[in-house]
Amino acid sequence: MNSWFGNALTRAEAIDDWLHEKRAASLALLRDTDWPTRQTEAWKYTSLKKLEQLDFSDGSPAPVIDVSPISGLNSINLVFIDGVLQSIPADLPEGLTIMPLAQVPDEHQPWVLDQFAGVKPQQHLFGLINDTLATNGLVIDVAPQVDLKHPIHITQTMTAGNEAHCRTLVRVGAGARVTVIEHLAGNQESFNTSFTEYSLATKAELEHYRLALQSDAALTIGGSHFNLDTQATLNSTIVGYGSDLARIDVDISHQGEGTLAKLDAIYLLDKQTHFDLHSNIEHTAPNGTSDERVRGIVADKARAVFNGRIHIHRYAQKTSAELNNRNLLLSRDAEVDVKPELEIYADDVSCAHGATIAEIDQLALYYLRSRGIGLEQAHLMLNFGFINELIDQIPNAVLADWLRQQLSGRFTRMNEIKHSGQEATQ
Amino acid sequence: MLSIKNLKASIAGKTILKGLDLTVNPGEVHAIMGPNGSGKSTLGYVLSGREAYIVEEGSILFEGVDLLTMDIEERALAGLFLAFQYPLEIPGVSNLEFLKAAVDAQREARGEPLMSSKEFLSAAREACKAVRLPTEFLKRGVNEGFSGGEKKRNDILQMLMLQPKLCILDETDSGLDIDALKLVADCVNSQRDAKRSFIVVTHYQRLLDYLKPDYVHVLSEGKIIKSGGPSLAPELEEQGYAWLARQPGEEKSL
Amino acid sequence: MTDQIEKAITREYEAGFTSSIESNTFEPGLNEEVIARLSAIKGEPQWMLDWRLKAFASWKKMPEPHWAHIDYSKIDFQAISYYSSPKSMDDKPKSLDEIDPELLATYEKLGIPLMEQQMLAGVAVDAVFDSVSVVTTFREKLKEAGVIFCSISEAIKEYPELVQKYLGSVVPRTDNYYAALNSAVFTDGSFVYVPKGVRCPMELSTYFRINEQNTGQFERTLVIADEGSHVSYLEGCSAPQRDENQLHAAVVELVALDDAQIKYSTVQNWYPGDEQGRGGIYNFVTKRAMCHKNAKVSWTQVETGSAITWKYPSCILRGDNSVGEFYSVALTRGRQQADTGTKMIHLGKNTRSTIISKGISAAQSNNSYRGLVKMMPTAEGARNYTQCDSLLIGDQCGAHTFPYIESRNPSAIVEHEATTSKVSDDQLFLCQQRGINSEKAVSMIVNGFCKEVFKQLPMEFAVEAGKLLEISLEGSVG
Repeated sequence: MNSWFGNALTRAEAIDDWLHEKRAASLALLRDTDWPTRQTEAWKYTSLKKLEQLDFSDGSPAPVIDVSPISGLNSINLVFIDGVLQSIPADLPEGLTIMPLAQVPDEHQPWVLDQFAGVKPQQHLFGLINDTLATNGLVIDVAPQVDLKHPIHITQTMTAGNEAHCRTLVRVGAGARVTVIEHLAGNQESFNTSFTEYSLATKAELEHYRLALQSDAALTIGGSHFNLDTQATLNSTIVGYGSDLARIDVDISHQGEGTLAKLDAIYLLDKQTHFDLHSNIEHTAPNGTSDERVRGIVADKARAVFNGRIHIHRYAQKTSAELNNRNLLLSRDAEVDVKPELEIYADDVSCAHGATIAEIDQLALYYLRSRGIGLEQAHLMLNFGFINELIDQIPNAVLADWLRQQLSGRFTRMNEIKHSGQEATQ
Repeated sequence: MLSIKNLKASIAGKTILKGLDLTVNPGEVHAIMGPNGSGKSTLGYVLSGREAYIVEEGSILFEGVDLLTMDIEERALAGLFLAFQYPLEIPGVSNLEFLKAAVDAQREARGEPLMSSKEFLSAAREACKAVRLPTEFLKRGVNEGFSGGEKKRNDILQMLMLQPKLCILDETDSGLDIDALKLVADCVNSQRDAKRSFIVVTHYQRLLDYLKPDYVHVLSEGKIIKSGGPSLAPELEEQGYAWLARQPGEEKSL
Repeated sequence: MTDQIEKAITREYEAGFTSSIESNTFEPGLNEEVIARLSAIKGEPQWMLDWRLKAFASWKKMPEPHWAHIDYSKIDFQAISYYSSPKSMDDKPKSLDEIDPELLATYEKLGIPLMEQQMLAGVAVDAVFDSVSVVTTFREKLKEAGVIFCSISEAIKEYPELVQKYLGSVVPRTDNYYAALNSAVFTDGSFVYVPKGVRCPMELSTYFRINEQNTGQFERTLVIADEGSHVSYLEGCSAPQRDENQLHAAVVELVALDDAQIKYSTVQNWYPGDEQGRGGIYNFVTKRAMCHKNAKVSWTQVETGSAITWKYPSCILRGDNSVGEFYSVALTRGRQQADTGTKMIHLGKNTRSTIISKGISAAQSNNSYRGLVKMMPTAEGARNYTQCDSLLIGDQCGAHTFPYIESRNPSAIVEHEATTSKVSDDQLFLCQQRGINSEKAVSMIVNGFCKEVFKQLPMEFAVEAGKLLEISLEGSVG
């Protein structure tokens, strides 16, 4: 057992709060779990060495953190710095209840206890760790039939030398509509786990974002997990920058009939960053639809890992599930490892997956050049266009614009750095 | 403006153009007709510099400069424009962004100041109007989800924006209904002046009725086997290509 | 309609008879002494015994792999007999006339006549019965062309330099659990050497038969195609119907030197067990090819048998411009479980690989494709195309796809596609409306689904494979 894990278990034992029973169960499971190695299938391409060696003894001073809200979004903002919730806005719209995880009133405790560790599958090691250590977090309840116009924007920022564990539970009532943005930021040496469990009641609609914009030395492991009841709709967008260690698990469970889930993910990796996305879509009820598109650009010495599983259970007849993963590999030192998986136990279904790793389309390049656009610029336009195609389809226009700006800025910087690097070696 | 001498070109080891000669002077409109597989599209690709096409012999001078030594984009910046038979879809790259990049490159090459965003936008809107594409199309990915006719009109829109010296229209009329055909012809006609030249590749006389070319050439098996005035087109329409394909000059009566 | 299909896929195993042939069989159990005895019986040189013992030492330290999507009771490796040979083989027959008539009759019954005069023209056969090679036909004719085709036991004695150079060069002794076991205890198998520039004048074929109870079959095949040579090799297998599971752990190594081409086709019809999942062969096989410059290796397999199939015929595309292909049809029914696929490791420049996998699952079976495509940094301009299609027949079976794709070269292109479909009621209705009964219709649809793979098989095998599928789908009445 490595020192970080041993230490975590010791800290977990000391926690005694109203979630004690839940935490104890997870702790018991954890004690029976082996720390992952390269032979562990779920961690085949992602090393935990940086976490095992984590040492915050000589942390640098915390920088000033920009947690200003995204302008024009008109969001309800909740900010965590190093795991500590800053405040909950007063006068929330009717039908919306937001509570800190540590202070859940009695009347909400039964459903929270039910949902806590009840959506997220048990096999996630760090999910279990989060079960035992997350004392910070939020509980969000959206009453049935409520149509929330304002997105809920949860920002989690980490500063140097800190570790935090956050758990968020979101219950979306029958027929309710809501947008939730999970936004993770920070580039200093730190570690956080952040797991969110969503439960969507009948005909509930959730527009979800997980913006994993941590970078550099910010280690992060987390997940967003969804239970969909009858005719519930999920539209989720994941964006990842990658860092020294970044791992996200997304689990979507189609538990009611006629559910619809759309999942788009984008990763844009450079330097020596690592980004590992595991998505798992479970169809346990008939007539469900899932559509997943994952696009990534991997440059420099970065490494992208994508594992996309679709599991159709015996009774999930008439399911339609599709997964498409495309990668642009831009450097000889970069690596892409993908595994799209299908496990199908029902015969009357329509399932397909596809994955490609390639350079950009030569014909498109010719088309741009024939209009007088230089080779280099044509490359940049097409490369960015490759991910922009997904940004274009983000339902929230303000957020789409903001993300486009962020991603294109990052993309431009990536190419500038590459350039100056090239010049230096010449 | 353009002088092609004994052009031989191949793709994937197969020779398509087998000694083509063509001279285009400023202000002229040349129509190229010919059966399928005669090399009409190849000519456009070779002129624009598409990489898979290999020039084996011959020369192409564009305004006195050797075109064959130039990159694809250099040719475009020198004023050569190819409207494609099948314009490509590029999802994720918006039409606006694409046009701006192309116009900027063009202006930079000519040593003109770049357009401000506002100027550019109004020019783009104007061009949209001319080809009757809704301005929303500017925000969409290049040709993404456009119908066949919309793609063709988008190509003409690019031509209007880029103001090339030599335009090669590769079967721009195919897949267009009569109204759209007339619209494209009007756009082309509006661009005609003493300096700008056109090479119009087509199967049908109808476009030529609107465009009134100065010359009509028949391309067959990689060579121009007959050239003539505008009257050649209706003749071809009537008789097909077979009577020409036999032997150049043989002119058999059928 | 589903009932009709269900019925269609239940059938008797036709190769399930037992032959009463007197045999010499080792007591069950595995240790160094057993290996030494086995090696002694075969009259092997010391280097071979040493090689086996090293493999055994490694095997003892290795954990049994459990990553495949298969579920089976633990194998007791000490309950298996590691050597069995027909008694009449003790004095090796000099010609076909001296072979035990019962043995010949067994092969006749399987449709593999060993008498040369009766044989399909142009196919040379090596027949392996339990642990030993009983006969290799057409040896003389092959020798004229310089082609060596004999049992691996003979090759060890007669061509030790070739065997020592290439045995374990593609699948090392310690490659995996079952390969290590095979390396320690392999009893026989086929050996092929095609000299430089030679086009092998006929198809080569090996037929494997497990007859004895409680025996494992561990054969080892080594095919070496020297520079610029061509060879096509066919492999077939069957076993009697027994209630116990029997282990088959083979290793096949192919070496395609510069500009050589090897086509390796398998029709695997080991006993799959009964409908309740009793009995059947556990088939754990390691097959791999090393492709040198401009070489081409093509694996084609039709897998209809075995209770468990664990098999990934692979290509290491080491030489520039080398080509690897994998064409597979895997049909599972009853409670069969198949976890099969391929690995394409691209090392050389402009290497190409194509993977076409067709999985058909019926009844309560599970059918998985598992594959790895790896583009190394040196694989400039390499390309892979993979297509995995699954067909489900009935709602009690499973069809799974586990492709691993790893790329480290920006100029390499990898494309993977997978789809799942069923034999739809609409398709059946259309056929029936046109007067085709449902049994024939299912068979037609399945055959159409497999067409891309069948057309890769040599003619005789294609016919056999088609028939095998048709028999598997027999019994449906419209």
